[in-house]
Amino acid sequence: MHRETIEDALFRASYLSILAFMLLPLAVVVVTSFAESGQLLFPPENYSLVHYRGFFEETRWISAFDNSILVGVGTTIVATALGVTAAFGHELDDGRAGQLLAPLVLVPLLIPPIILGISMRVYFVRAGMDASYLSIILAHTLWATPLVYFVMRSVFSRFDWRLLDAARDLGAGPIQSFVYAVLPNVKHGIFVGALLAFIVSLQEFVMALFLSSHNTETIPVVAWTTLRQSLDPMVSVVSTFLILISIGAIAVAAIATNLDWLSKQLS
Amino acid sequence: MSEITLSGLEKRYGDTLAVEDVSVTIDDGELLCLLGPSGSGKSTTLRMLAGLETPTDGTIHIGDEDVTDRPAYERTTATVFQDWALFPHKTVIENVAFGLKMEGVGKTERRERARGMLERVRMESHADENPMNLSGGQKQRVALARALAVNPDVLLLDEPLSNLDKRLSEDMQIELREIHEEFEETFVHVTHDQDEAFTLADRIGIMAEGNLVQVGEPDEVYENPKNRFIEGFLGDTNFVEGTVERTTPDSIRVETELGREVVLSTANPDALTEGTSLTLSLRPEILSTESAESGSEDDATGRPALADGSTTNSIVGTVENVLYRGSTVRYSVAVDGTSMFVERTVADSGEFDAGDEVRISWDGADVLAFRDDGSRVDL
Repeated sequence: MHRETIEDALFRASYLSILAFMLLPLAVVVVTSFAESGQLLFPPENYSLVHYRGFFEETRWISAFDNSILVGVGTTIVATALGVTAAFGHELDDGRAGQLLAPLVLVPLLIPPIILGISMRVYFVRAGMDASYLSIILAHTLWATPLVYFVMRSVFSRFDWRLLDAARDLGAGPIQSFVYAVLPNVKHGIFVGALLAFIVSLQEFVMALFLSSHNTETIPVVAWTTLRQSLDPMVSVVSTFLILISIGAIAVAAIATNLDWLSKQLS
Repeated sequence: MSEITLSGLEKRYGDTLAVEDVSVTIDDGELLCLLGPSGSGKSTTLRMLAGLETPTDGTIHIGDEDVTDRPAYERTTATVFQDWALFPHKTVIENVAFGLKMEGVGKTERRERARGMLERVRMESHADENPMNLSGGQKQRVALARALAVNPDVLLLDEPLSNLDKRLSEDMQIELREIHEEFEETFVHVTHDQDEAFTLADRIGIMAEGNLVQVGEPDEVYENPKNRFIEGFLGDTNFVEGTVERTTPDSIRVETELGREVVLSTANPDALTEGTSLTLSLRPEILSTESAESGSEDDATGRPALADGSTTNSIVGTVENVLYRGSTVRYSVAVDGTSMFVERTVADSGEFDAGDEVRISWDGADVLAFRDDGSRVDL
């Protein structure tokens, strides 16, 4: 065997073992969700679907599920609109304002979420929006927008801006030229950005904990409060659903675009 | 009515002056070539005409209308871009129909008109293909059809032939001329290729460092360049530095770095005074070259061969290099420490080899002279 082949094999083996080590907890979560007993043990003594039945009978979980989807969709819409237009504007006018924009957009990602959570709680109480869906959506948007923005910067940097010139030159106004010349070429990128926004919102916990009430609590919030009372396999059931949603979303993205292209956009 | 008037056009990007001062009137139906090296501001000028850039000063009139602040989509101009900028997600015919779609022309009619335009550029068989799969020349035709389809008053061409190979580019030049005659529209064509400009243009506008330096018909610009830059840009020439030594009523004698004086004929002896430094341009086409043995012998004295008041100059040098350039042969000749080049066609009798002594002669009336600031001396 050649040295290079051995090195390759070694690299792959170690890479895979690190990946496996990090992903194993997910397997634990999925397996424990099928436990029969009421205690979170691994491996379970007996398997059953009893906790899945419990999930669909528990209105608190069902409504948390609805809340999470509602907040996720809302965040996706607002963050995608803000991130795409910010990146587009930055590409069109790379002046001094643009140079300030990139670090400014990054700020929310650098502040610990617990600080954001506390300060936004105070802020939204004052604004009379306490415990509303909108407050959680805005908080998640603060996080998701930078991600959409940076994905779109990379997408737009590969866009041939002469196409926009050509469209305007042929009589397309500002909105028409965006719709007809830009959008068809960057729609995959927008889709990826939107997907990231949704997943970020779905898994965000700290800000949601501060900003939600009994009526608006999302899945991670309910999971946390439940866990504090008892280690219940129900948490595993919910986590399994979350994992499935995330994998499902990525699968949809992979099919809608293609994986090769996706990895290029995210790299 | 689509006469175009540019007056005092300026474009500044921060501290960079891309276009300093462009003023010209382009006649209705004219084909004007803006010719200049890269960075001379010719493309920026074109983009301002298209409405894709807003000038920082000056005005643009198309016909009687001031369109200076009118955006691109409200102007009656259409552009063929350098890399053609075809929409990759649309088919060829959709590309051509795009402008009509923006005008609100119905689907059936716009497809019909787009097909007609594709026929005009002989691309109708590719109507339903993806433009990205076409060759450079085919993309070029589609881009042309797309711009012509909106029936613009002014067609703007931004170096559309620069990405094509030489043969294809020459074919397209002829085709562009034909289309220009057929559509009777005003064309403004930007290029850095002087052959292309001379082939296509009714008039050539020469740009340098953001300024429109000279506008004129091709032969006029070539024969009467306004300054040294144009003389150097429009073709290869020998620039020879010198100082005015003596003026007579009909001639000017210039002491040059060729190691001997060069005689210019003049109708205007007062144009220059003794001691003025000059740059002379000795173009290869005014130089005739022969073997040194066959010439007269007075060169040894270093005096120009003057017979009955003519201003024939001749010098002797040694061939250093022979460069075959297709139909012509270029010789570089060492003359008293400096080097000149001369050209002969392959058909000319006799070839020289490196080391041969040759006599180069020219008529002093054909030499152009430029002052130190680059301006041309009116001889």
